[in-house]
Amino acid sequence: MFDLPTANIGGPDLFVLEFGDIVAYFSPYTAALFVFALIFTVLVIVSRPERQVDIAFGGDAYYTKVVDPDLLRFQRFMAIACGLATLGAVVTGDVFNFTLFASMVGITNIGIVAAYRNRHVLNAAFQYGIVAMLATVPLFGGAAIVLAGTGTLSMWELFGGAMAVPLIAKAFLVLGVMGEGMAPFYIAKAEITRAQGAPFILMVHVSSLLLFLRVTEIVISM
Amino acid sequence: MTPNRSIITRISVIISRVENLTALYALLAIVVVVLGLVSLPFIAYHDDQLYEKTLDPASTLDPYDRGGVPFGTTPVKAQYPENSPYAGYVTAYLTPFSQWLADTTHHMGTTIVAHPGGIIDEILYNTRGLDTVVETSILFVAFGIASYLFRRDD
Repeated sequence: MFDLPTANIGGPDLFVLEFGDIVAYFSPYTAALFVFALIFTVLVIVSRPERQVDIAFGGDAYYTKVVDPDLLRFQRFMAIACGLATLGAVVTGDVFNFTLFASMVGITNIGIVAAYRNRHVLNAAFQYGIVAMLATVPLFGGAAIVLAGTGTLSMWELFGGAMAVPLIAKAFLVLGVMGEGMAPFYIAKAEITRAQGAPFILMVHVSSLLLFLRVTEIVISM
Repeated sequence: MTPNRSIITRISVIISRVENLTALYALLAIVVVVLGLVSLPFIAYHDDQLYEKTLDPASTLDPYDRGGVPFGTTPVKAQYPENSPYAGYVTAYLTPFSQWLADTTHHMGTTIVAHPGGIIDEILYNTRGLDTVVETSILFVAFGIASYLFRRDD
């Protein structure tokens, strides 16, 4: 019944999951992203947090930082939610559904870093939060323009080439994902990674990387 | 600022400050929006919409008239009808109280008590149900963050 017309982008479809009009698909490309996100989500679930050590320079003294159990539990919850949102975003077959998963990734990323008390981390998280909120406008605007310009949201229809997706819709989508996933704005991430709590912090990076790879596929294929 | 800096150094100094992040993103957004405004005349509205919206000011349910026939079968357009075999049967109803409100008054049908089902609900709950699930998940996560920050002891 289905026929994914983008053999040159992601290869043939291996497996199709139907949710009404939203038909998620696993091509070699999206399946690879899915497996990567799945591995990292499992790692987050099973692993224990790192314990940072400060070494006093020029002496033998060092002190370990305390891992707050409440914070740890909350961070793990947010990291798992972020992983699940990433799993959804990389396989979904619908533009609006993709934007929803992308904004969920943005919110969970804020959640991972929001609970720290370190001033630098909170500063960066605040700026990041503003950008992520701002980015929902071009993100959903892009999906809205896709719908208005082509009459449909399903990637199965849009990827065919028969539909002319406006260039500005693609630009909005990329801009939105840039804001949500913070992919090119690494300065905020450099500050954020001062926070302790690997591997939960690393979920921020993994999710934004996968999100950006996925939106690249979408924009090229449309 | 030292005078002998190259242009790349100056740019990297600006973008390496977290405080400039929002302004940088806003600048990028403004550039894209201006490009969008320029290209706006070339974008045509596609008439054959999958999720069409119709307004009927004469309806007693006016702004919240979601289409569809109460107690009847509602035709719902779907991208893949074979995936939604029960589209049109799920929420195309009014409660008896809402029906009474809509029949006897002209604008009480617009209040929240008159929650009519209809085509929009069919789309939200049936053909695009996963969207609704993800939306509520976003809300859940956001409330989770807010409640954790509010309840943590300082």
